[in-house]
Amino acid sequence: MSKRSAIYGVMAEFDHAEQLVEATRRTREAGYSRIDAFTPFPIHGLPEALGFRRTRLPLIVLVGGILGGLTGYLLQYYSAAVAYPVNVGGRPLNSWPSFIPVTFEMTVLIAAISAVLGMLALNGLPQPYHPVFNVPRFALASRDRFFLLVEARDPHYDHDSTWKFLESLGAREVFDVEH
Amino acid sequence: MSQVDVPQAPHDPHHHPPVIAPGHTYASVTDKISTIVLTEPVSRGWIVGFAISFLLTMMLLYAITYLLVKGTGIWGINVPVAWGFAIINFVWWIGIGHAGTLISAILLLLHQEWRTSINRFAEAMTLFAVACAGLFPLIHMGRPWLFYWLLPYPNTMQLWPQFRSPLVWDVFAVSTYATVSLLFWYVGLIPDLATLRDRSHRRSGRLIYGALALGWRGSARHWFRYQTAYLLLAALATPLVVSVHTVVSFDFAISILPGWHTTIFPPYFVAGAIYSGFAMVLTLALPLRKFYGLEDFITMRHINNMAKIMLATGLIVAYGYLMELFIGFYSGSIFESAAMRNRLFGPYAPFFWALILCNVLTPQLLWSKRIRTNVLILFFISLVVNAGMWLERFVIVITSLHRDFLPSSWAMYYPTRWDWATYIGTIGLFLALLFLFIRLLPMISIFEMRELVTPHAKSNGMQAARSLDRGDDAHE
Amino acid sequence: MNHMDTSLGNRLDQIRRYALYAGAAGLIVWLLASAILGMRVALGAYLIGFLYVLGLSLGALAILMLQHLTGGAWGRMIRRVLEASSRVLPLVTLLALPVLLGMRALYIWTQADVVAGDEVLASKGWYLNVPGFVVRTVVYFAVWLALVFLLNRWAREQERTPYSQQSNWLRSLSGPGLVLYGLTMTFAAFDWAMSLEPHWFSTIYGVLFLIGQANNAFAFAVGVTLLLAWWRGVSETLSRDTLADLGNLMLAFIMLWAYIAFSQFLIIWSGNLPEEIPWYLARLRGGWGVLALLLVIFHFAVPFALLLQAEVKRNPRTLAGLAALVLIVRAVDLVWTVAPSFSTHGHHDGIWVALLAPVAIAGLGGLWLWQFVQQLRSRSLLPYPEETAHSLDASAEVA
Repeated sequence: MSKRSAIYGVMAEFDHAEQLVEATRRTREAGYSRIDAFTPFPIHGLPEALGFRRTRLPLIVLVGGILGGLTGYLLQYYSAAVAYPVNVGGRPLNSWPSFIPVTFEMTVLIAAISAVLGMLALNGLPQPYHPVFNVPRFALASRDRFFLLVEARDPHYDHDSTWKFLESLGAREVFDVEH
Repeated sequence: MSQVDVPQAPHDPHHHPPVIAPGHTYASVTDKISTIVLTEPVSRGWIVGFAISFLLTMMLLYAITYLLVKGTGIWGINVPVAWGFAIINFVWWIGIGHAGTLISAILLLLHQEWRTSINRFAEAMTLFAVACAGLFPLIHMGRPWLFYWLLPYPNTMQLWPQFRSPLVWDVFAVSTYATVSLLFWYVGLIPDLATLRDRSHRRSGRLIYGALALGWRGSARHWFRYQTAYLLLAALATPLVVSVHTVVSFDFAISILPGWHTTIFPPYFVAGAIYSGFAMVLTLALPLRKFYGLEDFITMRHINNMAKIMLATGLIVAYGYLMELFIGFYSGSIFESAAMRNRLFGPYAPFFWALILCNVLTPQLLWSKRIRTNVLILFFISLVVNAGMWLERFVIVITSLHRDFLPSSWAMYYPTRWDWATYIGTIGLFLALLFLFIRLLPMISIFEMRELVTPHAKSNGMQAARSLDRGDDAHE
Repeated sequence: MNHMDTSLGNRLDQIRRYALYAGAAGLIVWLLASAILGMRVALGAYLIGFLYVLGLSLGALAILMLQHLTGGAWGRMIRRVLEASSRVLPLVTLLALPVLLGMRALYIWTQADVVAGDEVLASKGWYLNVPGFVVRTVVYFAVWLALVFLLNRWAREQERTPYSQQSNWLRSLSGPGLVLYGLTMTFAAFDWAMSLEPHWFSTIYGVLFLIGQANNAFAFAVGVTLLLAWWRGVSETLSRDTLADLGNLMLAFIMLWAYIAFSQFLIIWSGNLPEEIPWYLARLRGGWGVLALLLVIFHFAVPFALLLQAEVKRNPRTLAGLAALVLIVRAVDLVWTVAPSFSTHGHHDGIWVALLAPVAIAGLGGLWLWQFVQQLRSRSLLPYPEETAHSLDASAEVA
């Protein structure tokens, strides 16, 4: 293993969100693909600058909701009409109007759980360790600074030239990110 | 051309006083909110407040223990009033919780960015209120250790819950509500937990906040999915919050008891819930804002808006009272009209008239902007409304039950000291949890405040709402 | 910007003419049919048409006041249409006369012999009596006409003078105005529709009418606005965000309607009380049951599923299509709510009322549309230039 691949990547720090969006765009235009940006709050336009536009999350939630609703209704149908059929005040065994509330609640419950677990799974969280935290100044990524990372795995990556490129983008400082 | 002394455009309702005081930066917002949790010493006021609420919590535990030993006979309930304080308090608490969801979900969907500085706090309030609410049906069951019989699971008795009963719907509604509120609150907290992790000076703080932050690192991709998830949760929580109090109203309306069985209950309960919830938000936010110097973040605009929502929901509630009374007499049913007469002039009439004073007459003061922006008067009104909404549930539960169809079974209901101890005890539990919350977690969403600081930019939560609407990612 | 170009003007004139023809034709057919079917059926159908056009004007009034209170770009976009809709109210007031004059044929509680033989009806005499009905009707219209007059007048003055007090007045009036509208329309719904079956009662009945009116008037305003934009060739320049807001509001109204309608049904169905359940029994059987199913599908399921999708909300064509759908299903809902009442108390006229109702709706709707276009043409199409809507100074240029 060469010395350069021993590090995870190179990271640049920026003062302003606009600088970061611009720098990200130019980094991608320069051909880098394994890059990521870190910000203290969501920045409009940044995912697009990273070439990231869609997420499957709404689909996951939709499927979760439909499954939850079906489960809810079938559960009631099974217990009230099949497993334990009791005449309650002359109401039909399949009292569908009475089954709507629980069906609705189950739809929302499973959809909401799908939303949270889906978001975490797609984001790969929880993740106890990540190399970016080895940069001391990265603590400011949750305060007021904006960071751009080029991973060493990137085919275009070359430590010195990538370093210089990031500096040329107006970075306040550039760091090595160790494993 | 007339007066020009009004600072904002008179015909443009988009010009508002700011939702955050000018001069703040990302760093100052972060520091101001996180130091309350991380470095500020525990104040004497906090200790005294926490001590009192902790003592009340102990009283609650004592009352519950005694209840478990003796049974529900220690309460004032008996036939015909089998639903006493427990159900009144259940409905009261769960109603209070609804404002939190309203602020965090519905106002997000409506692009109301002023919600940002109060949503975290209001969501915490929701959780704690739901915890207090959920306690009451459990201990009201008589044998709470068998609560799991309410859940549908295959069992050796070969029994299933009665899904035609609103009480079973309630189990699903309240547990779904508690779960979704917790998820919503926790998801909203993740980025702020990361901030606390990065800024904590203690190892324990870094460890605990770090574990809770799940390794959040603010990656742009993560933010994107995060916002989508948050928005979807808001879209789910909005109908959910309506359904929860609707199901609570079904607990009454599905029965055939005059005074309970009436079709206006669902929307009128929902409005009442929001009404009492906003009253409670004001009751808590006004002192907090003062003691922790948060006037920059919880501005007069928030207070004014919340007062307006209280006025609007209060009017809906008043409409509900009017319809109940009118239709009660219009119906031509002797039972309906007798129930209404009993409400107006029966032995519990003072409660009804006190309720009208608290819930209908007092909030009419809120038509005046001067009163809406007077913190002291508003605080007082919010207390009155809290009391009024409790009285409303008292009137609904007690006066409808104590005189039902057969005069031979009429009786009066009097709460015992255990009823009071349990009720006041839950207030203690609620406050104790809130005191812990404001010391341990950021009570204002830090990352969303950073978004508000961003010059000339709408909050990104709102932008995400737009982009999701636009279909950038929806419906693959 | 504010001059309606001539081609658009011609088109509107054409519509105004056709609307008048349609109205006249509808009323003539209605008159002929009533000669065959009898006064009661004719008035029943007329009542449905009257409630439909009343909802278009009053719903517009309500949304207008809501808009003054909350603001928002969506409100600016449809405000002119709402104002024009509300200004048709004087015509609607005239149209109420046949209901008043024919009340003895419409409402059985006006017949002394029926009331005398019915203990329950006799006990309702304090509310259900002829003088009370007439006085209340006068009061309702007085309140509504006053609100329409003030709102339109102040809105007009407000645009002439920026920094004017009228904006504050509009806002100050809108709060109490909404309260007044809510109360008067609730009791109007009790009087004109619920008392057709005087034994039956439901506390939520008024709210169903309030939401129905707002839903219908809003859909109408959205549809007209989009149509006008299309004719002016500017439909591509409409703000997609504002379109989405309009779509979301439509979605909210539809969900609210479904929520209230289902809650009422579930409570009455579960209670199964003899004084309540007949209302639903009549409406869930036979042809009425088919109408109920159509309402579930087209008043809720279809628009709900469509409006959840972002592309549908942001496309002017699909949004206009949905608005048209709402205008139709509101009529179906009114027929389903009102017509079966004519098959109670030993009568079997409901089916004829339902069949004649489209004719009445066409007749009254034609007259209403004729007045509406007239009112729309009398003012500019947008409250102030769209592109400068946020800037104060610019609004001064509009005159």
